[in-house]
This record gives sequence, structure tokens and C-alpha cells, in this order.
Amino acid sequence: MIKGSPSFQPFSEKPISLIGENGEWTGSFDLTLDDGELESFYRDLVAARVLDERLVRLQRMGKISFVAPSSGHEGPQVAVARSVRKGRDWLYPYYRDTALVMALGVPVAETVGQMMATRADPNKGRQMPAHAGSKELNVFAVASPIASHIAPAVGTAISMKLQGKGDVVVTTFGEGATSEGDFHAAINFAGAQGAPIVFVCQNNRYAISVGYNRQTAAENIAAKARAYGMPGYTVDGMDPLACYYVIREAVERAREGVGPALVEANVYRYGPHSPADDDTRYRPAEEVESWRKRDPLIRMRRFLEKRGLWDDDQEKKMREEIDEEQRKAVQQAEASGKVPREWMFDDVYSEVPEHLAEQRDSLG
Amino acid sequence: MTMQTIVQTIARTLDQEMSQDERVVVMGEDVGKRGGVFLATENLFDKYGPDRVIDTPLSEAAIIGAAVGMAVHGMRPVAEIQFADYVYPGFDQLVSQAAKLRYRSGGQFSAPMVVRMPAGGGVGGGHHHSQNPESHFVHTAGLKVVYPSTPIDTRGLLRTAIRDEDPVVFMEPKRLYRAVKEEIPEDDDTLIPLGQARVRREGDDVVLVSYGGSMGETLKAADELERQDVSAHVIDLRSLMPWDRSTVLEAVARVGRVVLVSEAPRSLGFMSEVSATITEQVLDSLLAPPMRVTGFDIPYPFAYDREYLPGPNRILAAVQQVLDY
Repeated sequence: MIKGSPSFQPFSEKPISLIGENGEWTGSFDLTLDDGELESFYRDLVAARVLDERLVRLQRMGKISFVAPSSGHEGPQVAVARSVRKGRDWLYPYYRDTALVMALGVPVAETVGQMMATRADPNKGRQMPAHAGSKELNVFAVASPIASHIAPAVGTAISMKLQGKGDVVVTTFGEGATSEGDFHAAINFAGAQGAPIVFVCQNNRYAISVGYNRQTAAENIAAKARAYGMPGYTVDGMDPLACYYVIREAVERAREGVGPALVEANVYRYGPHSPADDDTRYRPAEEVESWRKRDPLIRMRRFLEKRGLWDDDQEKKMREEIDEEQRKAVQQAEASGKVPREWMFDDVYSEVPEHLAEQRDSLG
Repeated sequence: MTMQTIVQTIARTLDQEMSQDERVVVMGEDVGKRGGVFLATENLFDKYGPDRVIDTPLSEAAIIGAAVGMAVHGMRPVAEIQFADYVYPGFDQLVSQAAKLRYRSGGQFSAPMVVRMPAGGGVGGGHHHSQNPESHFVHTAGLKVVYPSTPIDTRGLLRTAIRDEDPVVFMEPKRLYRAVKEEIPEDDDTLIPLGQARVRREGDDVVLVSYGGSMGETLKAADELERQDVSAHVIDLRSLMPWDRSTVLEAVARVGRVVLVSEAPRSLGFMSEVSATITEQVLDSLLAPPMRVTGFDIPYPFAYDREYLPGPNRILAAVQQVLDY
């Protein structure tokens, strides 16, 4: 158990929440984040939202081909980024983690460069948009097949355990991923090994159009942790501080060798799964609106206002700053230029083998 | 010098690599105290303990997937899939994660790892203990594929595979595990490069190309041909990705006749690639069409596996065809 930290009850009937709908602190312990940390936490949430809206616009303008909207998912994503030791711990995210990688410190120009397949993309234009990867920040390159990153995440955690340096892995995924065999194979192995890993499920209740009740008969995702011998926590994902305190505790416990944990954050994706998806075909507008009323940004802002830390002027100033930063980043990503065609044959293997050199040369 | 079988060289090579490089770990089902169902990891657990000889849950997805995550984090995992037939639950981890990681991350991450798997038929194993899935792996850009047929080659290639910077699928011909013995010096530390074939015998009348389990039958056919005064040039490919095109093409260009032997199913099997390359590159030198002798396009048949496997008689019949063409 980490010192001075609250201890949360696994398998609770109700999702864990620390900020009330009106912004009041409802936790049974004293807040440990100082005013500056709270403000920067809020800034990350807002910057992520602004970026998400910008990416959707860029997609509509035809500048990027695909986007996986993350608005509504900011709480657990920013919480994960703030719970790990940057550059030491490892992240195994999925494609809807734009807020996570941004809050962790992946430059916006890099994220946008990845989406535009320009030279600003450290992945060299190999993957469709929304597939981050950063060696510098230990962000494992996102792959599209659902849940396929979870077993590698466990492998890294086992490696960390063997090395005994107190590093931790956090992997994130949607609730649809928990239907895949890879999820069960991996989380089972992590449990058996007592590996230092935290599994964070961002349960937005839809795997594209397939609703939660068609995905599983389990009352919640956290309950699945019982079968693998680890605690499972259900958190109000629209409450950023609840996400933070629960995930941070799970991370620190893993760091101390207690073993893995599963955290389920109940979130909502306001937008469609992707630009190719029409979400009005499978969910009522009232449902989306009801979740918008529980918006994590509104909740956090009310919380700051209640503490006398925030007002309209600060909000306006901050949004202008974020907007300007991101506008420049998009320009930078575009200006870096397309990745060269010859790069297509690099990185298949550590060296370009004879047959690929021939195929490259055949391009003329 | 000691006489060693293929399976003995695997255990000894793993031991030596583990003693030289503490990043090397062995993992899989029953690889620990049991020493592997074929004893390919015998005695390693006693020497290196459970942290470096990891008995995993019974899950190929977990074994291969976790190996990717270990490799990314600086270890050199050697994962065992108990039978090649069982690789499919871990197939997504091989093709989506291990094979593609370096590429999709723009070279930022890589998964230097080995996935060992006993493959092939002829041991009374039945359908799900006898298959040859190598074409799936060759068809997956990013994987290297090795399939030796002798103790010395197994040793030199396994050592290279463990030290390679890319993921390597290391297929082992289980019907030759204990059928072939070679003398190997105690201090042998030869590294055999991946993608280099071995000429098993020199000849001038027909080229026989094979690899893995089928090398046994191919060499028997060559012996029989010798009795019939037909001189066969026998090439053991050893690696399928990359594969040694020049050794094959030079021999075929010189001799003009070639028979390609593999027990994997025929359609889109590895020998289809070899045949296509030969016709593209040295068509003018050919005195007869390249002939394939392969398994059939059927699931592996327990009751008739001797008929399914390309035995010496089928190889000889194909040789006769190219000689008579």
C-alpha cells in the first residue's frame, strides 16, 4: 500500500467517484494534488478536447483520412499519463488514446504528423491515423487488431519484474477488447506471474455499434478481474480525479510488487467510432446528451471554481494558448513533408535483405 | 567430439547461449522441470531457475505475445510452441505484433526473439501433431524462417537465430529429432548465417532441393539414384526466409533439371516460390519443367501419412519424369 494514499475498495457496487456533479470534493481523504497540479491536470483535459475537435475538423477538410474521436475519454487517459513515471514506465495504448499520449508528452506535431504520414511521424508513415508510438516516451506502437497489444504489455511487465527496477506497465483498451482471447490469455499470465502491470479498460459501452449487453453478460468489466486473481476497480470515468487516484494507486501498488490490477473507467464516446461510422443508427441522441451533461471537463472546472482556482478569464486565456500551440503544431507537421517512397522497404527487417532491395529497385 | 541428435543440440545450444547472455530466457509450456515434451530444454530449469526458464500458462497467444513484450524491453526470449500445429492461437501475435513491430514503429521498436516449434509428420502423431505451417510465416513480411535438418545445422542456425535482431520462426523436424546424429566438437561455436543453403551432395544429372523433415527421404532417393547411375545434386535450404536463391539457381542453371521436395501442402507451398523463381530466372537453362513433390492439399491424414509424405518412391518418379522429358 502506498503511504498516505487512500485505499479503494475493489469490486464495489457503485463506480468510485471523488467529485460530485456540482464540483464538490466527496472523497474520504485529503486531496494530495496542489493547486498548480490541479490546474495543469485541467489544462491537459481541455487541450485533449481541443485537439480531438481539431482532428475531426482536419478529417472533414480531407487533410487526414481517419480519426478515432476521444472526446469523453479524457478522464482515464489524462489520469494514466499523470500516474506513470515518464520515460521509465511503459505504456501500451490503443487507437483511441490521443489524450493519453498528448498528456504524457508526445508532441502534438508528432501526433498530427502520424495522422498525416509526414516526416514528423517517428513511425515513418506506416500506419493509419490514430496509431501512436514513441520510443522516447516508452509508448509501444499501437496496432489495430483489438487486444493484440495486451500480451506484449504483460511480457514487458514480466521483464520488468525480472529486472527488479520498480518499473510498471499500463495498458489501455476498450470493453470490446475484453471479448478477445488475447485479453484473457494475457491477463491470466500477468496474474500468474504477479507482473507489475495495470490494465485500464475505457468502457464506453460500444464496440463500434455493438452495445455492452451484446459484448458480455458480466455486470461490469472489473468483475472479470476476480477470475484472474487480482483486484478489479470500477471508476466513474467522467470524474478525472477518481480516475487519477484509483489508477495511481494501482500503479504504485504494482511498482511495490503487489501485482497487477484491472481498472474499469466508465466513459462515453460522444462522437462516432470513426468518420465511417454513423452512430445515430444504434444509439439515441438523448443518451449521448445525458452523458454530455456529465462531461469530465465541466466536472473538473466546477471543482476548480469551487476551490477558487479558476474563472472565465483564465479559461479564455488558456483556450487561446492551447489553440495557438496546436495550430502551430499542425502547420509544423504539414510542413515537414511527405515521407520518401524509398522508406517503404526499410524496417521490415533490421537490414534490407536482397529480395527487398530488388523490389525497391524495381520501383525505378 | 560427441555424437549428438538434433534434440540434444537444441538443449546444449540453449544452455550455451543462456550462459553467455543473461538476456536469453526460455519460455513455454512444460519447458521447466519437465524439460519440454521432447526434452529440448532438459536440465535448463535446474541450472537457470524459474526466472529464465519460464513455465507459462497453456496459451500460445500469451507465450508469443509476452515474448514480444520481453524482447522489446531488452530480453532475448526463446519461446517454445509444443507442436507447430498449436501455433494458431498465437498466430495473431506472430503476424500482427512480432513480425510488424519494427516496421509499424518506423524502426523505433523491434522484437528480437525466437519461436521454436517441432513440425512435420511421420511420427504417428496424427492430424494435429504433424503439420507444416511454414508457408504462413514465409508469407508474413517481417518474420525470418529457419528449418534445419541436421544437428550441426540446428546448432549453428539456432545460435544465429537467438542473436538475430529480428523475430525468427525456428522450425524443427521432429521425425529427425533422434534419427540423425552428427559428431559435434564440445567447443564448436560456429554461427551459420540465415539464408545460406547447404549442399548435401554434389551431382550433375538432377538437382534435388528440400529442407526439414523431407531431407531424410530426399537423401534416400539420392542414394537410390546413385545405384541407378544417376548423379543427384542435393541442396538443403535450411532457411526459407531469407532463402538462398543463388545456390539453387546456379545449380539448376548448370544441371538443367530440378525436383523440389517438401512435405507441406502443395498449393502455395514454399516450393511453389522456388519453382516460380527458377522459371523466372533460369528458364533458358531448363531441360525440363521444375517438378514439385509435396504433401497433398488435404488436412494431415493419420491413417495414410506414409502416403501423404513425399517418400523416396514419389521423389524417384518425379526424377524419372524430368530425366525423360
